[in-house]
Amino acid sequence: MSDDIDVNLEQKVAEFYQSLGIHQGPGDIQYRLILRVLEKNEGKITEFSEIREYTDPFADKGSIGSKMKTVFQLEGLVEKVKRGGYIITDKGITAANFLKDTSTFYKKNKRIEEIIERMP
Amino acid sequence: MMNTGLLLNATICFAIAISSLSFAWVLARSEDNQGRKSKPALWSLVVLWSLVGLTYFPTTIRMVAAYFGNHELDLLMYNLAAIPFSFVSVPLVFFIIYVITGEKKISAYTSMLFVIFGAAYLILLYSNGVTGPNVTIFSSIFTINSDFAINIYMAGLFVIPTAMIIGLLFLIFIQRMPKRLRYRTALPLVAISFVFDFMLTDMITLVDAMQLAARIFVLIGTVQAFLAYFPPLTLQEKLGIKKYQYELYEDELDEEEVDINV
Repeated sequence: MSDDIDVNLEQKVAEFYQSLGIHQGPGDIQYRLILRVLEKNEGKITEFSEIREYTDPFADKGSIGSKMKTVFQLEGLVEKVKRGGYIITDKGITAANFLKDTSTFYKKNKRIEEIIERMP
Repeated sequence: MMNTGLLLNATICFAIAISSLSFAWVLARSEDNQGRKSKPALWSLVVLWSLVGLTYFPTTIRMVAAYFGNHELDLLMYNLAAIPFSFVSVPLVFFIIYVITGEKKISAYTSMLFVIFGAAYLILLYSNGVTGPNVTIFSSIFTINSDFAINIYMAGLFVIPTAMIIGLLFLIFIQRMPKRLRYRTALPLVAISFVFDFMLTDMITLVDAMQLAARIFVLIGTVQAFLAYFPPLTLQEKLGIKKYQYELYEDELDEEEVDINV
């Protein structure tokens, strides 16, 4: 369903939401990347190391680990099935779908902004 | 012989010519206020309105010639007006494609296609000739002999560009955006399609009253385009699109502190 994760795009989208005053969820690059990786592996176990492949440029191991615990596990978006292994729940898929909508909104908004910019 | 209706017609044509040319001029003058990205679109609009003006200048002379019964001058001016008229769609297509895609090259190539359409129309028009003029109280009308020319003209020069305008309008309307921007983007498009479609009616109609009515609407469209770009203050206030002039207010007190003081 979802192809490769475009880290640059995710970062731009996160920055866009931050500029609107939304610093968590869609405006948080860590949250975005973690959720995208988990969604990519729907029905399979996601290794913590795989998440770190994407998040390493943005955050250290500790902050990703605590985000997994305090946000994803606490809210029931993932279930920990083994040491360093997570699986996404149905609720997690809902969150991932919302995340996709935020990317769409960003693209649409950018496109219309550019159209207006070109209108004399 | 005293067909004063023709003079009315000539006056309307003159008003269209003057207002669209001055609009083109004002637009061109506003170049410095435009961003780098909107300049190509701006210049295509300048060309578009100049072509509208250049179409209606010879038409004015044509109506005066018809009033004085000079059929040769009438025909000459008809043929002259056909040249700018058949290329009106070229800047329009460039404008729309450029605004939507932002690609100058693609826009240029697409509008080149409409140069071919326009040239084909002119060749067919000139080679097959026209019948007339049929001078009535209100107007002087030529009948285009080539049906094929009319077909090219309807399909290529008008239906496609009009469909493009409607597409762009739709794109703007489905977006949520500030009222002021919506007004600034939608109204010029409505005005352009107004002018554009009534010019078509003007050129192919065989009924004199219809020609006069079409020209009145072209004039209305030109004024509308002017209002779209330079809305008067009262209109801005009525529509709630006035840009509020403000200075930033710096307060030493925090909002909470103000609450406590109250």
